[in-house]
Amino acid sequence: MAKKAEKISSNSKRSFLKILFLSVMGISFGGVVYPIIRYLSPLSQQQAVEKIEIIKDEVPIGKARFFTYKGSPAVIIQTKAGFTALSAVCTHLGCIVKWLEDKGEFQCPCHAGRFDTTGKVLSGPPPNPLPQIAVAESGAKIVIG
Amino acid sequence: MELIKDINKKLLDWLDERYDARQWIRENLTDKLVHKHINWLYCFGGLSFLGFLLQIGTGIFLMMYYIPTPKDALASVQNIANNVPFGWLFQRLHSVGANVVNLLVMFHMLRVLYHGAYKKPREFQWVSGVFLLLITMAMSFTGYLLPWTQLSYWGATIGTEMPGATPIVGEWLVQLIRGSAQITGITLTRFYAIHVVVLPLTLIAFLGIHFLMIRKVGISGPM
Repeated sequence: MAKKAEKISSNSKRSFLKILFLSVMGISFGGVVYPIIRYLSPLSQQQAVEKIEIIKDEVPIGKARFFTYKGSPAVIIQTKAGFTALSAVCTHLGCIVKWLEDKGEFQCPCHAGRFDTTGKVLSGPPPNPLPQIAVAESGAKIVIG
Repeated sequence: MELIKDINKKLLDWLDERYDARQWIRENLTDKLVHKHINWLYCFGGLSFLGFLLQIGTGIFLMMYYIPTPKDALASVQNIANNVPFGWLFQRLHSVGANVVNLLVMFHMLRVLYHGAYKKPREFQWVSGVFLLLITMAMSFTGYLLPWTQLSYWGATIGTEMPGATPIVGEWLVQLIRGSAQITGITLTRFYAIHVVVLPLTLIAFLGIHFLMIRKVGISGPM
């Protein structure tokens, strides 16, 4: 009986030490890996700006102005119907669309995907329309986002 | 736990069948005999190597944010130290680590000198070791310019002026190292290329020779 008790206690000591060892190893490993992952992750302040203001006169009818919204390229155009802001990232494989002023549509230079002024796909491989971004007019400025 | 042991055994069996893994481990690790007199003084060579590995690791991380132009160098280093998450850690590790590696290399050299471990048959160990010391110091010197601070700039000016004392070719040598009459952006990119490519590759080559020879000849015997 006494022998058995001794065996159990030595076993639990061993397993305690094993758990202790593995915990210390795990914490040390995490202490090295966590800073590395944080260091390599993109900076948070790059996406910090939520709203962008653009002066109306910079976007006449039929013209487009490109800007960066939440770290990605975006575009604003003025048509007779008003201002429209769209993501400028093609929904096919992520190239940046061009504004064709004479045709009044967007074209992706990579695989010739075409979009109309509301972002709807006219032809080509893009599976989805260009996402719209909220636009509000305030005096001489346009607030995007 | 049993599962891990099982996987370990299967992995070792697999490697054993192909590469004699267990025997290799026995010969080089578990059954390898070393002199009884080995003490902590013999650690400095290995510690220098560990420090070098740490410099490579932190150096690669710094390269990801560092911009080697006169306009951006200081700003990019300040960005690493102040804005990038844990950037201060890797920047400090790299700059303080450089000093530590130099100290460890010196201690290693003094230990070898004190024990007379450079004598036959280890003469070339010493020679390759001296080259390793020179490369380590060249590493420190080229790395010192990269943050492009006042200290860096004038430190590099003084350091590159010294070869000018060489008879006849002195002036030409100074211009060759700087790439221009004074320290300029050309010197910065030149030192950057030497610091991150030329010297590390040379260092690894000499380390290879250094390690192969000590494996062949063995650690020196008691005094």
